[in-house]
Amino acid sequence: MEIRLSGILLAAALLSGCGWFHRGDKRPQPVVAEEQSTEPSIVEPQVNRREVKTPKIKAKDFELGGYFGALSIQDFGVNPVYGVRAAYHVSEDIFLEGFLARSKAGTTSLEDVFPEITVVSNSGRQFTYYDLDVGYNVLPGEIFLGRGRAFNSALYVTFGMGDVHFADKDQFALNFGAGERLLITDWLAMHLDVRDHVFETDLTGRTKNVHNIEAILGLTAFY
Amino acid sequence: MRPLLASLLLLQAFSVGVVHAKQQLLEVVVAEPYLEMHSGPGRGYPVVYVVGRDEVVQVLYSRTEWYKVRAPRGQEGWVRRAELALTKLANGDPAPIPPYPEFATHRWEIGAGYGVFNHQNLVTTWGDFGLTDSLDVELVLQQALGNIDNRYIASVGMRHTFIPEWRWFSPTAGIGTGYQYIDNKVPPAPLQTHNELAYVSLGARGFITRRFMWRADWRKYVIFTNQNQNEEPEEWKFGLAVFF
Repeated sequence: MEIRLSGILLAAALLSGCGWFHRGDKRPQPVVAEEQSTEPSIVEPQVNRREVKTPKIKAKDFELGGYFGALSIQDFGVNPVYGVRAAYHVSEDIFLEGFLARSKAGTTSLEDVFPEITVVSNSGRQFTYYDLDVGYNVLPGEIFLGRGRAFNSALYVTFGMGDVHFADKDQFALNFGAGERLLITDWLAMHLDVRDHVFETDLTGRTKNVHNIEAILGLTAFY
Repeated sequence: MRPLLASLLLLQAFSVGVVHAKQQLLEVVVAEPYLEMHSGPGRGYPVVYVVGRDEVVQVLYSRTEWYKVRAPRGQEGWVRRAELALTKLANGDPAPIPPYPEFATHRWEIGAGYGVFNHQNLVTTWGDFGLTDSLDVELVLQQALGNIDNRYIASVGMRHTFIPEWRWFSPTAGIGTGYQYIDNKVPPAPLQTHNELAYVSLGARGFITRRFMWRADWRKYVIFTNQNQNEEPEEWKFGLAVFF
């Protein structure tokens, strides 16, 4: 009796031991339609079990690109400007945008008439700015080219602030403007912007706000 | 090799095609009576195509709250997030259209704004990581533009949001340390151009829309100098941020 009991106990211990070793690997039980024990159903379910991996949807909310144009530096003539811009589209209406650009100022009328006078040194003529803006798509729409082509577009306004480095000094500058974004494809956009950079300066003798208006043409890609 | 190929072919034949083999595009089944496709990612763009119930559309990518999709016969158009979220996967599960992050529990945040630092105009940018819903680590880079000097200030600190579940207005308080660099504009030159600093801050934050929020902050700095007295300027600022 005792021998039999210990035999049973041993077997139980062994079995539980085996069970212990198999605890780690959770082998999935094959899913088999259960045998019809009570009533046979009319339709045999044929379920094709498989692992479903859902790919992620790529968000293309970032816009990155470059631009060039003409910047009218007050008192210093109209000069070429080129820069880079990056935007993040928060909603279909609102976007945040950053600009970084440079230009080189020409000469003032005073310097043209009296060549011996220098208002700003040569290195000081570098005009560099950065801007952080909020934009709003005021008039989204479509632009038609002939009968068969339509391009998505938006007329937007931007407002922001930044730093203008001019005459070897950094000035706080506000900027505001409006632009048109034309999507050549869904990921490539053309921009036409007119923006004004306003800052205070005393370069020409008295302290005043100067307006530096630029008209720029840009190309951006959505990521 | 051959049985492997055969089984692969079999697998291909049996799978209804949740995953496109080459482009890895999400495919969803229209579960509502129809799905409207617009010509552009905006509320005003006209509906150019309608996909019927049980038809499969491929989701190409998203822009803000709109998704570009491709219909079974190749037509492409934009579908609103709320409508695409009503579609299903081939196995009947709801389509995995990620919801917007919850404002109260968001983790990442980047923002920019305007402020005044010691009577100087201030341009500020920040990045923020939430350790918990109410405790953040903030990294702030800012430029103060004045008539006399131009300061660059970098600071890192901890911020506590008192009631994060208050959506529209929730007070905050913070403490941190940083570094400033003074770029002098007019003589005399400052005795020190590089300083360490510390600050305490009080502020507030609030939700605007989707993943957009505002933040206002007041800071009191102690700028450590090698003179008898430390500088103690104040700063306030207001900015807009995007959270993820």
